[in-house]
Amino acid sequence: MRRPSKRALPVTQRVDRNLRFGWWSLLVFLSLGGVLETLHGFKIGWYVDVGNETRRLMFTLAHAHGTLLALVNIVVGLTVRILDRFALRSSVSFALIWAAILLPGGFFLGGIVIYDGDPGLGVWLVPVGAALLFYSITRIAIDLSRRK
Amino acid sequence: MRKLSRSWWQGLFVIAAVTAASVLTLISLYGFRREAISPENRPIQSRIAGYVSSNACRACHPGNYASWHASFHRTMTQVATPASLPPEMDKLELAFNGREYKTERRGDKLFVRTRAEGSGNYGEPQQVVLVTGSHTLQVPWLETGEGRTLQQFPFGYIVAEKMWAPMSQTFLLPPNVKEYYYVGAWNGACMDCHVTQGQSRFVADNKWDSQVAEFGIACEACHSEGREHIERNRNPIRRFKIHLTTKSDPTVTNPASLKGPESGLACGQCHSVWAFNDMTDKIDFNRHGAAFRPGAHNLAQRFVVQPNAPDHREQKDFIHRTEPDFFHNRFWGDGMIRVTGREFNGVQGSPCFRGGEFSCISCHEMHLDSPGQADVKTWARTGQLKPKMDSDAACLQCHKDLSARLVAHTHHSADSSGSRCYNCHMPRTTFGLLHAMRSHQVSSPTVQESLAYGRPNACNLCHLDQTLAWAAQNLHAWYNQPMPELSQDDRTIAAAVQWILKGDAGQRVLIAWGMGWESAQKTAGRDWLYPYLIYTMTDTYAAVRFDAWKSLQTLPGFSDFRFNFTAPESSLSESAKRAYEKWLREVRKVNAVYRSETAIDSDGRFQQDVFQRLRSERDEKPIFLAE
Repeated sequence: MRRPSKRALPVTQRVDRNLRFGWWSLLVFLSLGGVLETLHGFKIGWYVDVGNETRRLMFTLAHAHGTLLALVNIVVGLTVRILDRFALRSSVSFALIWAAILLPGGFFLGGIVIYDGDPGLGVWLVPVGAALLFYSITRIAIDLSRRK
Repeated sequence: MRKLSRSWWQGLFVIAAVTAASVLTLISLYGFRREAISPENRPIQSRIAGYVSSNACRACHPGNYASWHASFHRTMTQVATPASLPPEMDKLELAFNGREYKTERRGDKLFVRTRAEGSGNYGEPQQVVLVTGSHTLQVPWLETGEGRTLQQFPFGYIVAEKMWAPMSQTFLLPPNVKEYYYVGAWNGACMDCHVTQGQSRFVADNKWDSQVAEFGIACEACHSEGREHIERNRNPIRRFKIHLTTKSDPTVTNPASLKGPESGLACGQCHSVWAFNDMTDKIDFNRHGAAFRPGAHNLAQRFVVQPNAPDHREQKDFIHRTEPDFFHNRFWGDGMIRVTGREFNGVQGSPCFRGGEFSCISCHEMHLDSPGQADVKTWARTGQLKPKMDSDAACLQCHKDLSARLVAHTHHSADSSGSRCYNCHMPRTTFGLLHAMRSHQVSSPTVQESLAYGRPNACNLCHLDQTLAWAAQNLHAWYNQPMPELSQDDRTIAAAVQWILKGDAGQRVLIAWGMGWESAQKTAGRDWLYPYLIYTMTDTYAAVRFDAWKSLQTLPGFSDFRFNFTAPESSLSESAKRAYEKWLREVRKVNAVYRSETAIDSDGRFQQDVFQRLRSERDEKPIFLAE
């Protein structure tokens, strides 16, 4: 069995961290949804003009990914609490949280400055976040399958 | 019979679902394939080397695509559909020049049948396949049965009036000219500029196999073909490198970054009077399309025709010999362009152009780039001008010093229309699409231009009630211009009166339009304009009649006056009589005072001796403005 590192948090604390992060993140990205609705409602050109299509897409992706990844953090936290003999690895907890920051954050930053059909430089954070997400989900799936 | 088990039923269900899905897919594929087959009765859009069409540009340039899509460049040629054709075109019954025309709709297609006037059955239907023009005049084109060769529907739709008129009456043409476009004209001439990278592809006799990169004037007309640009920019690192560094991409042309002459030529490839260098170039253009690409400093197989410039002497001599009216139908005597749509000739002839920076985009923009730009519809309808470029700001971009000494320069009060740069330096001396337009050759007004070339000068286009002598005296006093020799009439009769009574059709139409110009009406008064406009509604040229009528509608009491400018002569006289009676009895002010220069008596009638004499001196030479 894999030994936990001395620096790593105990499992319950890790799970709590993902749960807490998930709920706060959900609040942030649902609020972003409200902001986007407001921009739509008042037809703010910076957001709705056809020339700003890329910005609108980026912000929408930021909202959607942020909200969904917040829910993933919550679901993972609850999964660990419900299931016996299933511990969340420290690296997975870390990767999940950072995926939920980098993925929507990259989309959001990419939408602030745009170049016609291209987002701003911030969008390069997205593949990093995606890789972390891919790792964490794969690791959870494998660990759950190996559970006795 | 053995009862089928549950798993059997499930299996059958899956097989039935897969079969149904396959059948539906095949039906869809058949429909898709049928739609993908190119029609053979009209020019088609095809893959012309390097051209990818605006659809390929849209994903990366959504804002520019949207502004282009709203512009009238896009709709300069469209495939005929119920959406692109004028409203209710399927219910027309028209007659002109001894033939009757009837339209009918079958599904999404529109057909025209014709017959000799008063004869029995209509002939075989011809499908309306394309439509050119958009915001001012729309011209439908018919299949001919000769490959992709087109024939013009002989009526055009005047958008503002919501009316159909014979095409020959929507241009300034001599009244005896009934047919303006010959069969194959679209393929042989119109498509040179009304599509993106057209290839006329002459086959034999009058048969054409015309193909285009895209109908209408699309992205690649101004930015050059996009295939390489797209392929190289699939690499995101390359794109971000461009975004963050030079911001220019050698795989595509941006006319906004070019120097004045090259930038102007991107527009001038269409917006100029041009001719082929020689027959070889003409054949090459016909087969392969234009070799010119935006950014180049000449038109390759063609050249911009400036009558008095020293270039292309041999070619211009050839034109003189083979088409003697070519220059007269397009230029004033001093080489200034007189037809609309050819603005680059004017721009190139302007002193500002010599500076190397001045070009079309000094005042216009093809996308809504400038802060403070109007909404897209207004922008499209107002010549795609940059913000404030319909004001003095256009000229003050360079002539900054003049704003501080405006009144000293113009000798008009600051808020007067006489202090607006455009009105003196870009007067409306070009004509096309049934209205006068501003000259794009920036110049200073002189009386000499009117005496030598017959072009109405800016002073008398506003001061309609003043003589040439009056204008000459002021130009002499204010700008030290030499005093020209003037006739007795030029000293006593308003220049506009002379032009509208004894001028040629080109002069008459400018004055007929000019009498409806609000600034001129404010300056010269309105009361005396009625009889001239009413009389001009019986002019022999349909375009002159149209402008006289539209100007009359701008005068009090006549805003809803109805008039068919294409009607027979007897009907025209009847309408003019009706208008005159209305003016005399209902509208005319009894105490109105008419200046003697207007040649109107105190009772509102023409001074008959002057009127008859000027009318008898009318310049009746045929005028054919080749827009």
